[in-house]
Amino acid sequence: MMADRLLRVNAYTTLDLVDGRARGHEFEADAPGVVNVTAPREDPEHVTLQVELDGTDTDALAPHADEIDLSPAQARTLGDALESTADRVEAARADSSADGDADR
Amino acid sequence: MPTDVENWKSEVYGSEIRDHLFEFAERGFDSIPDDERDAWFERFKWWGLYHQRNGQEGYFMMRIGTPNGVLEPGQLRVVGEIADEYARGPGTNPIFGDAYADFTTRQSIQLHWIELSDVPAIFEKLEANGLSTQQACGDSWRNIVGNPVAGKDAQEVIDAWPVIRDLNETFKGNDDHSNLPRKWKVSVTGSADGSGQGDINDLAFEPAYKEVDGEDVVGFNVRVGGGLSRNEPRLARDIDVWVSPERVSDVAGGLSALFRDNGDREDRYNARIKFLVDEWGAERVRETLQEEYVDFDLHTAGRDVREEYTYNTGAGERNDLIGIHDQKDGTNFVGLNVLVGRMGAEDVLELADVAEEYGSGEVRLSQRQNVIVTDVPDDAIDDLLDEPILEHYSPSPSPFMRGSVACTGTEYCSLSIVETKNRQVRYARWLKENVELPDDVDQFHIHLSGCTASCAQPQIADVSLRGMKTRKDGEPVEALDVGLGGGLGAEPQFARWVTQRVPADEVPGAIANLIDTFAAEREEGESFRAFVARHDDDELDAFVDPEETDYDDPMMHNTKRTWYPYAEDDSLDSAPPAPADD
Repeated sequence: MMADRLLRVNAYTTLDLVDGRARGHEFEADAPGVVNVTAPREDPEHVTLQVELDGTDTDALAPHADEIDLSPAQARTLGDALESTADRVEAARADSSADGDADR
Repeated sequence: MPTDVENWKSEVYGSEIRDHLFEFAERGFDSIPDDERDAWFERFKWWGLYHQRNGQEGYFMMRIGTPNGVLEPGQLRVVGEIADEYARGPGTNPIFGDAYADFTTRQSIQLHWIELSDVPAIFEKLEANGLSTQQACGDSWRNIVGNPVAGKDAQEVIDAWPVIRDLNETFKGNDDHSNLPRKWKVSVTGSADGSGQGDINDLAFEPAYKEVDGEDVVGFNVRVGGGLSRNEPRLARDIDVWVSPERVSDVAGGLSALFRDNGDREDRYNARIKFLVDEWGAERVRETLQEEYVDFDLHTAGRDVREEYTYNTGAGERNDLIGIHDQKDGTNFVGLNVLVGRMGAEDVLELADVAEEYGSGEVRLSQRQNVIVTDVPDDAIDDLLDEPILEHYSPSPSPFMRGSVACTGTEYCSLSIVETKNRQVRYARWLKENVELPDDVDQFHIHLSGCTASCAQPQIADVSLRGMKTRKDGEPVEALDVGLGGGLGAEPQFARWVTQRVPADEVPGAIANLIDTFAAEREEGESFRAFVARHDDDELDAFVDPEETDYDDPMMHNTKRTWYPYAEDDSLDSAPPAPADD
């Protein structure tokens, strides 16, 4: 079952193309998706992280988006974790390409 | 708490913005303090100016609101002259050249590369010729739309043009209605063809008969809360009100005030009246209008003519207003196809000459981005058709040319994520050369919008295309989501989105395969829209079948990351400086 996207997608969307997968006990499906970070323009109380995988390849799930509300402290914790992990992945990739083992 | 935009509006909004605008124009673009730019750019919209996107600093899109798309004799020439003189910037479009005008899906005109320092001179020229940019954008009454040939169309039920003119005069620059929670789009239609597209407007007046004091009177039924944006398309809801032409202004003003007082000013994404109608229901809208906003008894809805609607329905006659049609005064109007609504300044000037020579000099703009030459006598038709400019702007174009609508896209718009207008031109040309529709199908509407804002009205086309990204051969490329089977009419239907992220260079192949399947499997005489309606989403997804062909797309890279997609060195780092104050 396909339906319209739930998340708006425009030039302000954080990531309009990510690779993801939906995984359950009985299914696993790869699908591209959209990731967005947002907060209300005025008087925001939290940061909202939004994730929506394309409906095309995930028949096991009804079309949906996941939205996670983060306090500013939680958002920073997440940001730090993303950054340090990105550093680790980049470093590992640099090592492997130095070994002549480029991943592409 | 109100939003930033609401705070800016509470400080300076409406007519008074003009004085500030002129002061900045005098002192130069750089005189706008950096920390006030967002606020001023938001306010400038009220005077029809949108700052262009990242990489085009100091340049503006200017929207001229032409109520109902009517350009009186001489006004098209003025538009052409302004485009020629002022709508030139550092980027050259490979298809359309250096200076052009865009005709929009709301019967307005957009010019690009406008410099702030030129705004006073442009306003002076526009106003001296009865044209204006006021409230072409911003949170207020937008350009009123309708059947563009109101007052002339032989198929008309009631002449809506005096009503539209009256609404425009009453509510443009009206302080009580100049600061609404969000935009306010109004359609007034007097013809039985549905060409005012009322169903997708905040407020729609549609022709209807009502028995009043024993007599059948022609007036309008009222619908509220339509619109396509925010992935939440809505059809306008019937509020069970009929109104006489004389009272349209009272009802329209009442509903505009109801929206002003009750719309959501906390959250701009929830501000359009369609969401208030969702929350309240049509009945409460009617009750509130009756009790608080009008001082006479509202009639219940009259007998409408929606069964006769053909415009943008995907079947039958008059899906658009292209071609030669009868006027009620015995002359003709001639609808010309302007592919994706864009016309070079020289062509605009030439068309102004042609309209003067064969008609009255008047032209009108349709919601399918086309132009109509009016008042052409029978004995002038042949000579008009022989004019060279009609080879390019044809009254009998290929279905793929006349069916194409596209928004502005990454060329100028800060929301879009893909290139649109030039791409749609390339698509239409390729489809015209390579794809055969069944003989009895002479309409095929393809609308391309660069993002979910839906300015190209993608949800009401046979094939709806909307900007996305995908990965191809490991690289991110521009892509389109594909929807099918949308259209208006007595039973309007939004497109069903069936296939996601088709690489932009495989879309023509996908459409070709789709049409092949349609041609092979349709029932006799079946319209594309009806064909789509009887298949489920999975079947339709399979019919789309993306494929590479000899269609070549030079804009597969991330065009939103360029300063101008067609520049030789297009990187954002090479963006030109803001224009110097001259």
